[in-house]
Amino acid sequence: MDVALERQLREDESLMEKNFLVTNLDNLLNWARGHSFWPVTLGLACCAIEMMATGGPRYDISRFGWEVFRASPRQADVMIVAGTCTRKMAPLLRRIYDQMPEPKWVIAMGSCANAGGPFVDSYSMLAGVDKVVPVDVYIPGCPPRPESLLYGLLQLQYKVSNPAKVRLMKHGK
Amino acid sequence: MENKVLKEQVEKLATSVNGEVEEILGELVLKVQASNIIETLKGAKSFPNFPCDFLHDLCGMDLVDHLETVYQLSSLRGPQRLRVKAIIDRENPVIDSVTSIWQGSNFLEREAYDMFGIKFKGHPNLKRIYMWDDFEGYPLRKDYVTEPIEVRNIVRTRIEGE
Repeated sequence: MDVALERQLREDESLMEKNFLVTNLDNLLNWARGHSFWPVTLGLACCAIEMMATGGPRYDISRFGWEVFRASPRQADVMIVAGTCTRKMAPLLRRIYDQMPEPKWVIAMGSCANAGGPFVDSYSMLAGVDKVVPVDVYIPGCPPRPESLLYGLLQLQYKVSNPAKVRLMKHGK
Repeated sequence: MENKVLKEQVEKLATSVNGEVEEILGELVLKVQASNIIETLKGAKSFPNFPCDFLHDLCGMDLVDHLETVYQLSSLRGPQRLRVKAIIDRENPVIDSVTSIWQGSNFLEREAYDMFGIKFKGHPNLKRIYMWDDFEGYPLRKDYVTEPIEVRNIVRTRIEGE
């Protein structure tokens, strides 16, 4: 092993004993972002009930640090689209997304938000919110259980914390 | 017992407005032509002992050869229930609005207009309630053909104040 790197690691370890951690700013920021999502409460249909259950004490989303459901998009950084998005709602969904400050992510929760679900042939249905906003994580289910939502948020956390790794995975590496 | 008394009154009303009375599953159904609807509902609202003075629901129906609006009447002061159906011409779907009798029928009539294209004469604000303003066609009519998914996936821009 490289002698200089070895020495560096030892120094880091000795710092850790004194409650210090050495990293670079990007990693620190991404780590903080991934562990403190503030979701905007975009419950459009029945999936919102599962989202509320996830926020409740039984599943307790706050133990991951994503506790603060914001009613205002200006204070949120992740949008959980929970439920059916109709064509009338689509421009409003886009507007809420535009009002969120950067950096921002979108989770499509449930079959309807993914691809139209059981209503895909209906006259009023937008088949998937990815026609309107860029979606980071798709959670299948009708509706998905709270565990699924937590798993989806963990996936997003992984994505946010390791942007370089995710970029490589996207290209099959 | 009560149904019998109510039935007498409904039959009396039916003869005066030229309608038909049926009893389906214990529910009295009065069928009239669209032109007599105001007279019928006013009559039902002022039955002497059993006034059917509460409009429970109002909806449209498409029976292929004609349209119908259905008025579900009941009362807050008794068990009496009455269903009034108005037969509307499919080519010229116009019927009198009942907002002058029940204010609450405002949104219900807008829904029937939105989904079936039934025009309510005398309605204060007859425009679409669920679908957007520039939507074409009436989606719950039997002959409505849903647009293909490529068309439906195009996101429209919202009209301000819609």
